[in-house]
Amino acid sequence: MIGRLIHRIARVLAIAGGCVLLAMVVLTVVSVTGRGLIGLDIGLGPVPGAFELVELGSAFAVFSFLPWCQLKRGHVAVDLFVKMLGERASVVAELIGDILICSAAAVIAWRLWLGMMDKLRYGETTYILELPLWWGYAAAQVGALVFVAAAAFTAWQGMRTLRGNGASR
Amino acid sequence: MSSVEIGLVSFPILIGLIFLRMPIGLSMLLIGFVGAWIVTGTERPILAQLKSLPFDTFSSYSLSIVPLFLLMGQFATRGGLSRALFRASETWLGHRKGGVAMAAVGACGAFGAICGSSLATASTMGQVALPELRRFGYSGALATGCVSAGGTLGILIPPSVVLVIYAILTEQNIAKLFVAALVPGVLAAIGYILTISVYVRLFPEAAGLREPSPFAERWRALLQVWPVLAIFVLVIGGIYLGWFTPTEAAAVGAAGAGLVAYANGGLTWSGLSEAMLETAVATGMIFFILLGAAVFNGFLAFSQLPQEAATAVAESGLSPWFVLCLMLFCYLLFGCVMESLSMILLTVPIFFPIMLALDFGLSPEHTALWFGILVLIVVEVGLITPPVGMNLCIINSMSKDVPISATYRGALPFIICDFTRVCLLILFPGITLWLVTMMF
Repeated sequence: MIGRLIHRIARVLAIAGGCVLLAMVVLTVVSVTGRGLIGLDIGLGPVPGAFELVELGSAFAVFSFLPWCQLKRGHVAVDLFVKMLGERASVVAELIGDILICSAAAVIAWRLWLGMMDKLRYGETTYILELPLWWGYAAAQVGALVFVAAAAFTAWQGMRTLRGNGASR
Repeated sequence: MSSVEIGLVSFPILIGLIFLRMPIGLSMLLIGFVGAWIVTGTERPILAQLKSLPFDTFSSYSLSIVPLFLLMGQFATRGGLSRALFRASETWLGHRKGGVAMAAVGACGAFGAICGSSLATASTMGQVALPELRRFGYSGALATGCVSAGGTLGILIPPSVVLVIYAILTEQNIAKLFVAALVPGVLAAIGYILTISVYVRLFPEAAGLREPSPFAERWRALLQVWPVLAIFVLVIGGIYLGWFTPTEAAAVGAAGAGLVAYANGGLTWSGLSEAMLETAVATGMIFFILLGAAVFNGFLAFSQLPQEAATAVAESGLSPWFVLCLMLFCYLLFGCVMESLSMILLTVPIFFPIMLALDFGLSPEHTALWFGILVLIVVEVGLITPPVGMNLCIINSMSKDVPISATYRGALPFIICDFTRVCLLILFPGITLWLVTMMF
């Protein structure tokens, strides 16, 4: 039940990130085309501050991808040596990894929040479009928080597998 | 303990964690965090740094090229281009001895020109080429071996995600690195094709025969792959001519590949969302490692280990060539168990300053380009060395009737071919560098 909910949220978020990535593609193509046609002098030109939008979009996209990557077990690890120790060792190692990822995600989300507060307090903006930087941080916060939830869920799943294994043996 | 010693001790601990199956990005993040805490004596600087470091890393303009190239590769996969490429090279090469396997390698190389990832190249070409190879009577070992090896052309032939990361780490010009990778990449494809031709002469029963295709069909098949050429020329040529920044080129390439995929019916809503989700997994994995590496490298810089190591090696009086071979050997060793990008992120901050401190009779920039290509090739060899060559695992899982030992055996001739090429490139830096000097 909770698992399905987290899966659904992570999936929607990943697709939202993907849509932002697509938007970055379109924006860049428009900007590059505009810059190419600037010589024609018909009022076309590059999109001002396009690279700032790409940067903000990229941050949102990457943060939104993290929970889905965690649920899909996308993080690379070297499992060769632990596999030799048997299946139970693999499960334990994976569980420890998930707990550590969950703590790391929590620290990242916590610091990101404080970072956002800093940007809000000092009113920092991007150079050209003068967009408030805290917007970017706030958008990233969604992904960072779901990442914590997704990592906690995978750790919980690992614990269940471990207990299941223990009971059956 | 001095800070340099702390830096030195951190490596065995880090590698221990990684071998205990901790995710690689996490291990670097953890050791970097704890290490910085110990070196500075307080947790405050690293915590303060973490307020902006993740956001800065994920919003870096130069790094945003990575998800864009990954998306481009996804679109290229869904656009049916791999099938068209294999058809084209098969009609031209298929009737030769071992020709279908050569065609698979050729198609991999061409697909590598629009895809920056080895795993993606190996898995899409595997889907297309493996059934055909088996249908024409190629042995399981040769079929899986040639597609796994061909997959490595995905990162060798530009654009290449690994090369982009190397360029960012060492502050080199991406365009020059791409140009430098071209000749070695083409050499790799030719080398693999020669390897196949020797292999089928030694083991004639490993390959079946096939009727030659009529020339009309050959030209028709070749015409169908024009989008691949167009995208490659636009992306690489555009960067080289200064039309766009590398990130813009990646976006343009993604748009081009997306249009082709749409025209070929590969981008229905479900195809598009699949492409996005696949991009999400690959991007999430890479950026988590990039974040870990950023924290870890911050700590290394604090500890001053890279500078100290470079001075120590330069003053040790060891032959530069010996040191270079030793470093490349490290990559081969770790490549047996680790994946390419993490290896580069882990080692380049230490190895690169050492490399620059050594005298090979090349300018610093040429040394950087040459070293980048050598590293790229040796980490790529790691993808096809047992026991955990990722390409071998992927390709083997796609052909259920071939035992993994046969795949290992099939990859061996290609590994030998790789070694020969690495030796040539070490002995003659000019092979890598002449095109760069000519074009810039």
